[in-house]
Amino acid sequence: MPTHPRLRPFVLAIGLVLLAAGCSNGASATTDAAAHPGALAKNCGAGKKFKIGFAQANNAEPYRQRVNADLLKAAKAYPEFDVTIADGQGDSNKQISDVSNFQTQQVDLLMISPFEAQPLTPAVTQVYKKGIPVIELDRQTADDQYTAFVGGDNEAIGKAAGDYVAKTVLPDGGDVAILQGLISTTPAIQRTIGFQDGVKSNPKIKVIAVQPADWLPDKAQTVFDTMLRAFPSIKAVYANNDLMANGAYLALKGQNKVGQVAIIGTDGLPDPAGGAQAVLNGQMTATFVYPTGAEDALKIAKQVLVDCATSVTRNTVVDTTLITKENAKAVIEKAGS
Amino acid sequence: MTTEPTASTHAVVESETAAGPAAQPEGPGAAGRSTGTARWPKLSMLVRFQSVLGLVLVLLGGIAFSPRHNGAILFLTADNLANIVRSVSETGIIAVGMTFVIIAGGIDLSVGAVLGLAGILVARLMVDGGWGTAAAIVAVLLAGLFFGLVQGAVSTTMRIQAFVVTLAGLQLARGLARIVADDKFINISYGHGPGLAPPSFAVLGNRVFGGVLPVSALVFLAVGVLASVLLNTTRFGRHVFAVGGNERAARLSGINVRGIKIATFAICGLTAAMSGILDAGQLNFANPNSGTGYELAAIAAVVIGGTSLFGGEGTVVGTLAGALLLGSLNNILQLNNVNANLQLVVTATIIVAAAALQNVASRRRAP
Repeated sequence: MPTHPRLRPFVLAIGLVLLAAGCSNGASATTDAAAHPGALAKNCGAGKKFKIGFAQANNAEPYRQRVNADLLKAAKAYPEFDVTIADGQGDSNKQISDVSNFQTQQVDLLMISPFEAQPLTPAVTQVYKKGIPVIELDRQTADDQYTAFVGGDNEAIGKAAGDYVAKTVLPDGGDVAILQGLISTTPAIQRTIGFQDGVKSNPKIKVIAVQPADWLPDKAQTVFDTMLRAFPSIKAVYANNDLMANGAYLALKGQNKVGQVAIIGTDGLPDPAGGAQAVLNGQMTATFVYPTGAEDALKIAKQVLVDCATSVTRNTVVDTTLITKENAKAVIEKAGS
Repeated sequence: MTTEPTASTHAVVESETAAGPAAQPEGPGAAGRSTGTARWPKLSMLVRFQSVLGLVLVLLGGIAFSPRHNGAILFLTADNLANIVRSVSETGIIAVGMTFVIIAGGIDLSVGAVLGLAGILVARLMVDGGWGTAAAIVAVLLAGLFFGLVQGAVSTTMRIQAFVVTLAGLQLARGLARIVADDKFINISYGHGPGLAPPSFAVLGNRVFGGVLPVSALVFLAVGVLASVLLNTTRFGRHVFAVGGNERAARLSGINVRGIKIATFAICGLTAAMSGILDAGQLNFANPNSGTGYELAAIAAVVIGGTSLFGGEGTVVGTLAGALLLGSLNNILQLNNVNANLQLVVTATIIVAAAALQNVASRRRAP
């Protein structure tokens, strides 16, 4: 699951600027070439071929498969880029090897979603210090030795979901439940905090139950089934991911209450088993996309490698998108094309 | 894994030193099975060192298919070779311990979880307990040894299959790791004072000899050499083969079967703890879920190394080569950008091929 604890201070500052500008990218700082030897490319320019290595944290997660697919799809727009993906298999040791191998292969640019921040930091720093630009996607390493970071903001996504419930789903108020992800993980914490913050805008809404379901649909089904029996007044449930939202749907179905409780999810993957399809099918009321940022990352790669940029946007926060029945079909079709 | 008739057990425990080695046929793999070896010298040699041969083939393949840069063979660069050894050092060290257990006829599924537990323990002792590097390392090594010892004792005394005992051990170690860690990751920062680990522990994540050879790789190779000497030149080593080859014969010839089995589990627990300490040292970080699935990677290295899961046959050198073979193969496939999923398919093929080769040789050797 996506994590970036270090991003939050930036985001709060940038967020407002972004909203005002109505655009998804914003510059927080530019890169200082002296302090950051790997920040920009030594061998750059148009008409050349470039090797880009992407060290993915774990191909087995549906969200990360979507990142890979988005990245390869977006890369088709850049014929000069040869993008290779290595699978960290959810193991920091494996991912360190992947990073070392990319260094051996002498890639022109490293992209990485570190499985765990601390363990990957030395390997990424080493690459960066050798003068290879590093773009971090979705998750960050533990220091500032990278060229640029691109990712979503969990707290902002939770807040958007909270606002949506407060203003659109339950304008007249009511009882709301939250299904949390695995309790020690950053996205679970930040999305929940954001949501609780978001629903505050409507004083008639009461968060009546918060329970972890560890990101898992079967667990969510059990937990929400119990919640519904304990609090029949629940009018909406917010799940930290779509899998748990699906579990909530199954619980509703079991009690013949489908349609009586609004289900709001998170992730919004456009795959057949993803949240967008569930919204289209009417199983979920809405979901909020946790963006992959693949396109933005490649844009930065082009600036660095092809345009020989002298500075790039250091932190890019990719906005979330609300998926409802109206736009779900369009979202799925766009991803598939 | 074999159960022992109770009547004979405690007689054996006492007579260990008296009659032991004299009654035993000499040499690894010899216990009562060596009759046909001479007729198939080539095949048995091939199997004995199948993984070494395989490793040589993979290395040659690596050189042949390596991407080149300005004439330099990237596969053969010192950095790359060191990276290969580093990448297999943790599973490799475990595989060495596992070799003892498997030769003695057992199996240990708990090693990955013990790795996680050891990493958490060493981090807690240093970060929260204020222990010094050496003290923390020794304590955790002893804890790993003890964990293996208990598993061995439970398995032999209560006559429960090692598979079941260590399956329970896996759950237990993982649970303990999460309890000790309080369900959190432990970041290891270095310095002096509360909340900081002694800077000397960071050595485990360093590289020596001009920053090329990772310390973890060095430890792996050292453990391999020590274990090889222990297995091939000592009476203990011969007893391990005897117990795995024919437990009944071993008992009748006065070997302390139970003691030998427990010792192999203790060795395996020790190596798992050692890997856990290295894991924490390399990553500056301890995660109670570290090492998930490592038991299977270790068993794969042992099997490719030509050790029989039926016990009684195997070499540490084979295991080392098996681990390095897997690492080199993944490396060369990755340097050539071969799809990660295909790498798993190739590994699967090699495991089956190695086991088949082993099996054919064993059958031909049987009287």
